[in-house]
Amino acid sequence: MLRIRLHGRGGQGIKTASQILGTAAHLAGFQAQDFPLYGAERRGAPITAYARVSKNIVLERGAIAQPDILLIGDETLLSDPLASVTEGTESSTLIFINSRHPSPDLKKHYQLESLPVQLDISGLCQKYIQKPMILSTALAAVGVRLMGHIGLHHLLKAIRDELGQERLSADQLANNLKLAEEAFQKVPSFDLEFRKFDDGFSASHLVVLERRPPVDSVPVIFATGNMALRKTGNWRTHRPVIHYEECNGCAICYARCPEGDIRMDANEKPVIDYDHCKGCLICATECPKHAIEIIREVASWN
Amino acid sequence: MTASILDSVEESKYKKVTDLNPQEEIAPGSALCAGCGGLEGMRLAMKVLGEDTLICNAAGCFTLISVYPFTPLKGSWLYTSMSGPVPAAQGARDALDIRMAKHGLDQKENMQVMVVAGDGATYDMGLSPTSAAIHRNLDFIYFCYDNEAYGNTGFQQSGSSPLGSYTMTSPSTLDHPAGSERSKKDLFGIWMAHNPPYLATVSPREPIDLSNKFKKAKDMKGPRLFICLSPCPTGWGFDPKETHLIAKLAVDTGIFPIKEFVNGKVIHTKRPRKRLPVEKYLERQKRFKHLFEPERRDDIIAQIQNNVDTYWEQYDE
Amino acid sequence: MELTKNKQMMLTGNKAAAWGARLAGVDYVPAFPITPQTEIVETLSQWFADGHMNGKFTNMDSEHSMFMAAGAAAATGVRVFTASSSQGILYGLEALQTIAGWRVPLVLVNVSRALATPITLEPDHNDVLSLRDTGILQLHAETCQEVLDYILMAYRIAEDPEVCLPVLVNLDGFYLSFTREPVILPDEAEVRKFLPLFKPSQPVFQASQPMARASAVFGGGNYSYFKIQHHLAAQNVLTIYKKVAQEFGERFGRFYDAVERYRLDDAEYVFVMSNSFATKGKAAVQHLRKNGIKAGLLKLSLLRPFPSEIIGEALDHRSKVAVIDQNLAPGMGGIIYPEILKAVYRREDRPEHLLSVIGGLGGRDIQEGDFISILQRLDQDPGDDPLFLFDEKDLKQFDQLRQIAGFSREARVS
Repeated sequence: MLRIRLHGRGGQGIKTASQILGTAAHLAGFQAQDFPLYGAERRGAPITAYARVSKNIVLERGAIAQPDILLIGDETLLSDPLASVTEGTESSTLIFINSRHPSPDLKKHYQLESLPVQLDISGLCQKYIQKPMILSTALAAVGVRLMGHIGLHHLLKAIRDELGQERLSADQLANNLKLAEEAFQKVPSFDLEFRKFDDGFSASHLVVLERRPPVDSVPVIFATGNMALRKTGNWRTHRPVIHYEECNGCAICYARCPEGDIRMDANEKPVIDYDHCKGCLICATECPKHAIEIIREVASWN
Repeated sequence: MTASILDSVEESKYKKVTDLNPQEEIAPGSALCAGCGGLEGMRLAMKVLGEDTLICNAAGCFTLISVYPFTPLKGSWLYTSMSGPVPAAQGARDALDIRMAKHGLDQKENMQVMVVAGDGATYDMGLSPTSAAIHRNLDFIYFCYDNEAYGNTGFQQSGSSPLGSYTMTSPSTLDHPAGSERSKKDLFGIWMAHNPPYLATVSPREPIDLSNKFKKAKDMKGPRLFICLSPCPTGWGFDPKETHLIAKLAVDTGIFPIKEFVNGKVIHTKRPRKRLPVEKYLERQKRFKHLFEPERRDDIIAQIQNNVDTYWEQYDE
Repeated sequence: MELTKNKQMMLTGNKAAAWGARLAGVDYVPAFPITPQTEIVETLSQWFADGHMNGKFTNMDSEHSMFMAAGAAAATGVRVFTASSSQGILYGLEALQTIAGWRVPLVLVNVSRALATPITLEPDHNDVLSLRDTGILQLHAETCQEVLDYILMAYRIAEDPEVCLPVLVNLDGFYLSFTREPVILPDEAEVRKFLPLFKPSQPVFQASQPMARASAVFGGGNYSYFKIQHHLAAQNVLTIYKKVAQEFGERFGRFYDAVERYRLDDAEYVFVMSNSFATKGKAAVQHLRKNGIKAGLLKLSLLRPFPSEIIGEALDHRSKVAVIDQNLAPGMGGIIYPEILKAVYRREDRPEHLLSVIGGLGGRDIQEGDFISILQRLDQDPGDDPLFLFDEKDLKQFDQLRQIAGFSREARVS
């Protein structure tokens, strides 16, 4: 069996990528399984999807803890400890990162055990479909190619099958196929060996729960306002940056921010809470002085 | 309402955004979508209502406001069920009243009891309990974040889905080109027929109007009901940064009238001087895309325009 | 109506339930009418209006709303009582399941009435047993006295700082709800010693105690924690029940075990029954005993938590046991029967024969002759299939009805 785990953000087509992978494997005659992990998370929030490809019946379900292939669509996730992107990887895990940085730099910067495969698929997406962060086609193409065993024609058929269900025009579909072909050609194939079932099962460490008082036995939260501990800043694909020299302190950005992430400081200037800003960019759109610039969040290092 | 209350409301009116309470009553970090119009509406409302509030919440997008072990609120929260928040508000209100009257609970311990529910829970399953609660003159605030479909489940048709809108369960097909074929229920009219002491529509794009309405309602008794049009980037299909633009167009085209019902009268508090054509609002949202592509459906657009015009004709001076 | 010390009065089961709430010093009653429960809420409404009860009675718009209001009020710190029946329980099921998970103390009464379809009025227990798996505790009453006493005990259990759960007291529609019999009304001052006025043992909603309750929980492990805790709390009630029942008995002279062992000592044949029809079972036991048959009856009172150990022990060494379910799970059989099987399965001295009997559906009478039939079946190999208490007379009567309904004797072919 080959186990593939995909990481990205809500709205980047990560689930569709896993479905293209699954369908391509199925078309190529393998047993396959694909699924997203539905959390209560939204556009911009970290998303995980999975695919399993096997020569025999797939006797596994649910999340993949130890992937053979890790496909990282959004590099910024690697800097977010909460996203736990590299969890369960070993030196043998094949890691792909959508990045402009060369592979050795990525290995060093993210302290990876092995050299990752790198390709700027956002650049390819921009070129073919003019949407740098709709990654479904390109990420699936990379996954199929890395894995090996599946031909390009099966990949393209899978893309037609899967994207055909979306409301795409003929042109858009054709562009996606071209995109897939280029992404497919640009990464090497590893023809990974199918792993056998683990034979080292050991018993789980079950515990006997003690009865606790009622108040400790229901979902009650006394730490009011503690939601701020969740740093939704990692949802952001673009960053609003205030140019204070142009800001007149009108407080429109503060009034319009749904998250309450902008406060007015003592000098009556707005300050953005980047720990939580989800990057909706309402502030930049609404600013009457156009004093807020939008900068794409790429990997936060150079 | 007595004249003296009216006067004091007048004095403390919000006039500009810097008049808003600088305190955020809802901490950031929730899992709601970036650019959520409903959250902006609720954020502004809570700035007025403050922390001595018990929110009874219905199943819907805002279920995600508090996910164990986190709450963004300074006040209290009770998750109920889809049609449960209004009767829960009744139970909580009654219990607080009983404790103050019978058990000597200090008045300082009193709370504003508030229902937060989406349009699915409000227009459909929760309509009957709400009708009953208004009829019982329950002393509570109702905040409906109206994104015109069942959003949390992935955007299916609700009683609030407008004519011509595409939802996951009202696709545009050859036989049913409009998508949703019925106009949204006139919830304002339905609630108004119960003659509540206060009823208003609010827009997240109009923080001053919204704040003044909540300020007015805060000091009143009985059912005080709010419908907040909540532009939904995810379901409506627009870039999150355009939330306020869409909200503004809803008002400027006359599609979403900003009004209140108080003392038996409907007053439009933000009346568009010259209404923009409805397509200015429709064309920016993916849920109406089928009205423009592959071919323009002038018949359906005209019907939507006609509905808006007919509405405003009632109020033409 | 004046209260005097230990006054005995003729009361219906419904009135006894209302008295239970009144004596408990209930603060709050959200109500919605349904036959055969109406007398309870009508009586309470009048008592609130007359000032005999202090607090609030609120007419709700449905059972769903009623139970939700009840739960929220309990979470806001008042003593809550409410009552329903049958379809009302089903309509409110989502709310009941929800508030059970809130871990708030309150008492509700169910007046059993069989479920649609067909819609009917007389009792069986499919309504109350639909709550079997909600984690709401259940006490089932045989007499009007038990109705009242169980309500008082139910508050003690519900409000125990280790429990904090809704407790349901069940009584049969018509057979108890509208049936008057002498009931001892305990002295209010004595009741207050047994059950002081409500003081919440856990944080409740008020301005100085902000909190979020019942927030969404994601992750199966986290969810499991709360559910397992609910189970542990419910299981723990087996101990708490014993303590409460003992104290109640010492104070009022009426002792209620989790089960009643009626002439069980040397019984070879045992009927397992609950609720008002247990009275009929007792009569049958007396009759059989007169005829030299060693019969006895095990009455189930505490249904949740399920007193497995107590039941298993009571049935040790019995040769023949019939579990009479006044309910039916189509495609399975009786609902209580497999629970009794669970109680006896691991016991070395478990009964030789265990027969499942389904009777009393929709209030169908269970007569002495039925008990003889049950005995006969027990003497044979009872097998796995349930024995249905449906006789020739029932069939003949029904066939007459279906002819009037337009069916000929032969099946109608259109």
